[in-house]
Parts: sequence; C-alpha cells; structure tokens
Amino acid sequence: MKKGIAMTLAGVLLVAGLAGCGSSQSGADNGATAESAIEKYGSDTLKLYNWGEYMGENVISNFEKEFGVKVITEYFDSNETMYTKLQAGDAYDVLVPSDYMIERLISENMLQELDLSLIPNLSNLAEGVKNLPYDPENTYSVPYFWGNVGLVYNHNNVDPAVIEEQGYEILRNTDYKGTIYVYDSERDSFMMAFKALGYSMNTDDPAQIEEAYQWLLDMNNTMEPVYVTDEVIDGMINGTKDIAVVYSGDATTILSENPDMSFWMPSEGTNLWSDAMVIPANAPNPKLAHEFINYILTYEASLDNSEYVGYASSNQEVLDELSTTTFADNEAYLPRTGYEKDEVFVDNQVLKKQLSELWIKVKATK
Amino acid sequence: MEPRKSFWKKALLWLTALFFYLPIVYIIVFSFNDSRSLTKFSGFSLRWYEKMFSDSSMMESVVYTIVIAVLATIISTIAGTLAAIGLSRSRRMLRSVVEQVNNLPVMNPEIVTAIGLLMFFSALGIDKGFLTLLLAHIMFCTPYVMLSVSPKLRSLDPNLADAALDLGATPLQALTKVIVPQIMPGIVSGALIAFTMSFDDFIISYFVTGNGVNNISIMVYTMSKRVNPSINALSTLVIAIITVVLLIVNIAPILKEKRRKKV
Amino acid sequence: MRQFRSMIYPYVVWLAIMVVVPMLLILLYAFTKEGNSVTTFRFTLENFTRFFSDAVFLDVLKRSLIIAIVTTILCVLLGYPIAYAIASGPEKSRMFWILMITMPTWINMLVRTYAWVGILQDDGLLNKLFGLFGLEPVKMMYTTFAVVLGMVYNFIPFMILQIHASLAKMDKSLLEAASDLGANRWQSFLRVTLPLSLPGVLSGITLVFLPAVSSFFIPKLLGGGQYVLIGNVIETQFLTSGDWNFGSAISLIMAIIIMLSMYFTRKVDTDPSANGRSE
Repeated sequence: MKKGIAMTLAGVLLVAGLAGCGSSQSGADNGATAESAIEKYGSDTLKLYNWGEYMGENVISNFEKEFGVKVITEYFDSNETMYTKLQAGDAYDVLVPSDYMIERLISENMLQELDLSLIPNLSNLAEGVKNLPYDPENTYSVPYFWGNVGLVYNHNNVDPAVIEEQGYEILRNTDYKGTIYVYDSERDSFMMAFKALGYSMNTDDPAQIEEAYQWLLDMNNTMEPVYVTDEVIDGMINGTKDIAVVYSGDATTILSENPDMSFWMPSEGTNLWSDAMVIPANAPNPKLAHEFINYILTYEASLDNSEYVGYASSNQEVLDELSTTTFADNEAYLPRTGYEKDEVFVDNQVLKKQLSELWIKVKATK
Repeated sequence: MEPRKSFWKKALLWLTALFFYLPIVYIIVFSFNDSRSLTKFSGFSLRWYEKMFSDSSMMESVVYTIVIAVLATIISTIAGTLAAIGLSRSRRMLRSVVEQVNNLPVMNPEIVTAIGLLMFFSALGIDKGFLTLLLAHIMFCTPYVMLSVSPKLRSLDPNLADAALDLGATPLQALTKVIVPQIMPGIVSGALIAFTMSFDDFIISYFVTGNGVNNISIMVYTMSKRVNPSINALSTLVIAIITVVLLIVNIAPILKEKRRKKV
Repeated sequence: MRQFRSMIYPYVVWLAIMVVVPMLLILLYAFTKEGNSVTTFRFTLENFTRFFSDAVFLDVLKRSLIIAIVTTILCVLLGYPIAYAIASGPEKSRMFWILMITMPTWINMLVRTYAWVGILQDDGLLNKLFGLFGLEPVKMMYTTFAVVLGMVYNFIPFMILQIHASLAKMDKSLLEAASDLGANRWQSFLRVTLPLSLPGVLSGITLVFLPAVSSFFIPKLLGGGQYVLIGNVIETQFLTSGDWNFGSAISLIMAIIIMLSMYFTRKVDTDPSANGRSE
C-alpha cells in the first residue's frame, strides 16, 4: 500500500519535474512580465505571511524578477497570532506555521491539499524533515526550516563533561545559580522538564504534568533564572550568562559569533521542530503559491535563506553544503535526526492552555 | 537671586534632556554598528542603511506610519476638541457615561482593544488595510485629545463664550475666536499625544491591518527571529525627517521675514 | 448654556460603534467558555473564579498595581518641576522644550527599550562609566529598578505635557494679586498655582497610570520573563495560549478595578466650578 503511494508519487514527481523544468526555463528566457504572469497564474501578486527576519536578502526580489510577479509580505511573531488573523478571514497565499499549528489547521480544514505535480523540487527535500507526524505524507505542507532545542554553554565556565552528564538537570544545579537563561515559552520549558523526568513531551497525564510543574518551580526558586525569548541571542553572544536553552538555529548564530560558546543536545531527548509552507483553503492565488513553494526549494533560494538566517535548510543539498562550508565547525547547524527520544509536538489545545497557565505561575512565583 | 533661580531651572531641563536623549544617541550610534548586535559595538559600517534602503517594505512602512499618524492626529484632534467642548456643556449623566467609555481604549490593554476591533471588522466583512487602520487609530487617539482638552475647559470661564454670543458673535465665531484660543495649550498637547500614540502603536495596528499595509512598529515587532540594527537605522531616519521638518517649520518664517525686509 | 451641546452627539454615536460594540464582544468572551466559535459556547463565571481562587494571580495583580502607582508618583514628582520650569520660560523656549520632550516618544518604544537594555546591562554603558570611577558594577537589568525606570521614561512625557498645558496661559494677574496681598513665592504657589494646575496633574495621572498598569513590553524586556505583570498575563492568554475567555475576563476585572480607582480620584477633584457648569 505504502509502496504504491510512493511509486505513484515518484511518477507524478518525475512527470511534473520535466514539465516544471520546461516552464521555469521559458519564464527565465522571456524575462517574465506581469501580463504573462496574469495569463499563467490568474494574478500577478502573491500574499505571503511569514515569520519576521526569516528570509534571505534576495529571495523575494529574485522570485519577483524571475516570474514577473509582486510579493506582498506580512509578518507574524507567533503561531497563535497568525492563527487569529487567519481565523478572522484574512486571506493569504502562503503561510509558514510550525508543526503543531499545521496539524491544527489541517484538522480544522483551513488548508488545501497541495498539487504535488506543481512542486517538482520536492525531491530536494532533506531526509530528516520528510513525512513528519503532523503531515505524514506531506499532503499539505512543505518544510521550510527545521531544527532542535538544546543548551548553549560557555565552555570556559562550564565543564562539557558536566553538561553532557547532567543534560537539562544542569538547570537545577545550584553551582550555576544566577547564570542561566531559560527560553520563555510554555511548550519548550515543559518539554525540558518532561524530558529531564524521562516522560514524553506530549504527555497529558496529570501526575506527570504535576511532576514537571514541580521540577520547573524548583528551578525557578533555586536558580534565579532569567526568562527571555530572542534576547537570548544577543545575551549569549555578549557572554552575559553561561548556560541557555536555545533553538538550534539561533545557537548556530551564537556559536559563529562567540567562539567561547558550545552547543549540547541533551541525551534525554529534545523537540524536533519544523516550520513548513502551506496554502490556506481561502488562498486567492493557489497556482502562484505552488510556484513560490517550488521556488523556495531550489538550491539558490534555500542557500540564501539558510546562510542568512542560520536555521537548518529543508534542502538536502544546501544542508550538506553549508554544514561543510559556512557552518563547518558549528555543531548547532545540523539538526539531530533519527534519535528515538526526540519528538515532534502534537497539537493539543487543552494541554497547551493548561501548560500555559502553569508556566505563568512558575514565572510569577517569587 | 533671579539668575540663580533660572540657573537651576536650566540645569533641571538639561538633565531631563540628558535622560531623554541618552537612549536616542545610543540608538543612532548602534545604527552604524558593523555586527548585528544591539548592545555591543564592533565597528563602523553603513550596511544597515544599505539594507534599509534596499528593503522596499521598510521604506513603505515609514510612509504609511507618517501618513496614518498625520491623518489620525488631525482628525482626532478636531473631533476630540469639538466633542470635549460639547461634553463640557452636557448633562452630568451623559458626561459621566461618555467619560467612562472614553477611558476604555486608554485603559484596556491594547490587545483587548485589538481583538475587539478585529472581530468587529471581520463581522462587518470590511477588507482590512489602510482604511481600517486609520479608523482604529482615530478611535484610540481621540480619547487622549479629550483627556488633554477637558481640564483646560474646566478652568475656563463658561461665561466668556456666552458673553461673545450675547454681543452678537455667531456660534462659530464664539468657538474659534473665544473658546479655542483659551484652550489651545490643551489642544496642542492632546495633538502631540495623539501623534505619539498613533506613531508608536503596534498591537492594535497589527490586528486591524492587512493587504501589506504595515507601519514601522509592525516591522519592528515582527522581526521576531532577531531584531537587527536596520531598525536603528530606520529610527535614525525618522529622527532625521522629524528634525528637518521642525527646522523648516521654525526657519521658514524667519526666512520669509528676511525676504520681506529685503523687498 | 446649551450652545455647543449638540457637538457631543456624533461622538456618542462613534463611541457606541467603535468602542462599545467591540467591548461587548469581549464581554461575551469573559462570561463564556469553550472555543472561538460563537455556536458552541455556554455562559459561566468560571473565568472569574479561576482568577480569584489563585493566589499567584492575585499576587500578580497586586504587584502590577504597586508598580503602576510607584511609576505614577515618580512621574508627578519629577514631571511637575520639569513642566513648571518649561512653563515659566519665554514662549519660544517653551515650544522648544515641549518638542524636545515629545520627540523621543516618536521613536519606537521597543527600539528605545532595547537601548536601555544596552545602557543598563551588567557590562553596559552605565556600568562601564562606573568602572571609570573605580566603582563596582551594579546589577540593574532584570530588577524592579529597571522596570520602573523604563516605565517612567516612557510615560513621563504625557505627565509633563499635561501639567505644562495647565500651567501655560494661566492668568498671571492672579499671581500678581497674591503677591500684592503679601503672599511670598511659596505661598502663592501653594494657594494659586498648584490648585489651578490640579486638573492637568489629574489627567496626567490618568495618562500615566492607565498604560502603566497594563504595560507588558517594558517588564518583559527590562525585567525578564520572570517579571510577570497583569498585562503579560492577559497578553499570554490572547497571543500564546489562545484562551480568549480567560484573557477577556482578566481584562474586565482590571477595567473594573481601574474604573473604581478613577472614580475615587475624581471624588478628590471636587472642583466647584465644574459642578456649577453642568446645566
């Protein structure tokens, strides 16, 4: 059964790939115009809704030039913000939400199935980011960036042997009191606590949640942690603290700018996250949206994106290239794959609300 | 005695200026930073200015911010002043109700106002963009104008306008020649606050806009993955624009005067 | 006395449409439960009991009110002399200083607050300056000091503007009369200037206190995530956990508390001339 689907997919891809090559070549030759774009896609504007500072500097302008279209970009800074605007009826052609949010959008019928024949470059997709549980067959989503969450530490002040032995527990080791940054997000904090305790990060068992809550409370009360989000990047580059919980993509930036910093992916397991491109059900211009998704998967666009932002590319070739060139000595760039204790977030709104409330209580406890 | 007093006043004002402008100078300095850091200076560079000028959406956001702020300030200042005058002469019941409702946009966390407006505009099926953004800004700026004008009205002698009317002035004349000049300081500070509120608003703007209409704050806040010094460059540009406008406004009359003297 | 009264009516209509209707939607959320779709809700007081039955939330509320009150008091104490110094200058310098005070507020709040992070950090500008004088570095970031400083910095311009507006165009002959009657400077300030500028101070308090209670970016950046104020709790409900019902309920609770405190502030402001004008 699975094999059958794979075979058909491969066949479709092959045919589409040939067709795609032909069309993109003709586009480049003619120096595409708005008229030809309207003729081909029905419109010459694409509405993109993406994270801020999440694109290479020339990706959009190159796409606009090559296809003779205009891209209107709006930005969001959390999945929930994006969801709120989407639910209010705002129409976009392409969104780039995270794993659990895609799962939610699929379950609420807010996305349309991709026409894979229009995305021949899907064959460039990196192995580790294919067929993830939120969209097992990549029916709705094409990954954009991906990575893990781990610990960045100053190897002059923290013994690598200690951090490798203790993992997340080092955040409760009072030898390092007052020197830690914790990422201010309920899912990531509870992920650490669950993993440190040996549970699944998607657990909804009340006893395990209570135990994790106590773990975080204990950390809060004994370690004087500072809870930050993106300020962690500047903070660690400046060496303000010794240990920080960081997204691997941000860790890549930190490590390349401060040689005192190292990255450790705890052996208790971590979160394997990905942000992927999807087309909402009410997209005004799905044809062009497919073209855009296909374009992002090209080597050039993926390279520009990944090199500029520092997050791991979803393009296998770019991943191989950058991990041996620009980020060769950067242990944070390549995400860990195939490790059995790593998990992907599952959409569970009730749980999310509950953890969110507990997290506020942890932070507010003095 | 006198010069000493004014010395202390001057000293106080310049200390205040130091407090207000320390961060501003900091912002300008870091717009020339060579690295991405907002807190560690690693060398002089113009790269963030290059990035800013080559980013069309950033430049567009400056234009949108200024246009919206100017329009919202003008409209809300006029509307707020008229409403405040009307309110000062209304029955006490109505006055206290309006004052309470008027405080809502000022005191509600922005997100609450934002979500309320988002649902409201969506329910009406209005296409979000420039118009909804402007309406929202007028909505939250007007109460600030009223809050500034009302205290001035309260210390104004109500008989003045009546005297003017008795002496044959039309209501419009009484309004523009008698009342408005008296409350001018309140109107000016109301307008300044309205301009500030509109210029700096993020959350409400974010939820009521659409179709690529972004203001500076939206650009800044959504650089979620990493705020970088191009934002400082943008701020420096704004400072430069404001300074130039202020200079023109202040110098133009002087030049005119000079030219007149020459002729 | 009825002249101009009708000018309020268009604004009443506008308020009803743009403020009251959206607020009713929030009210609906506060008293309901389940989902964001209107078809599946039920009425409940659960959101309110959840807030009041939790010591942590009450603590956060108390902390927010204290911070806002401290900020407001500091803004009055610092803002009054500044406004007074501005208002007592000649016309030209008054305009200049008003613009000097206002201009920084036109720079994005987040950008300004980031600048403060750089200034207050452990190895930031101020501590480097202290180092030059041989002083030990002081820990300022992620403290109450930093949060209050950030709030005062952001909100004091409104206080100064309001007080200045009430001091400007004040009838100078009143002061002359006072001194003719033998009052010294201090007495005439206390008996004449201060009472006349009180409406300005009060609206300044409104403009500082209200945004200070609900602010969330300043505590987040300068106080760190551990500096949870009520604004942060509400923000989280809407933007992170997606619990609009709880978020609406908390903001409603806050609105009521603030309205009550404003009501009592206004009681203090028993300006007889204001009452005389109501009819």
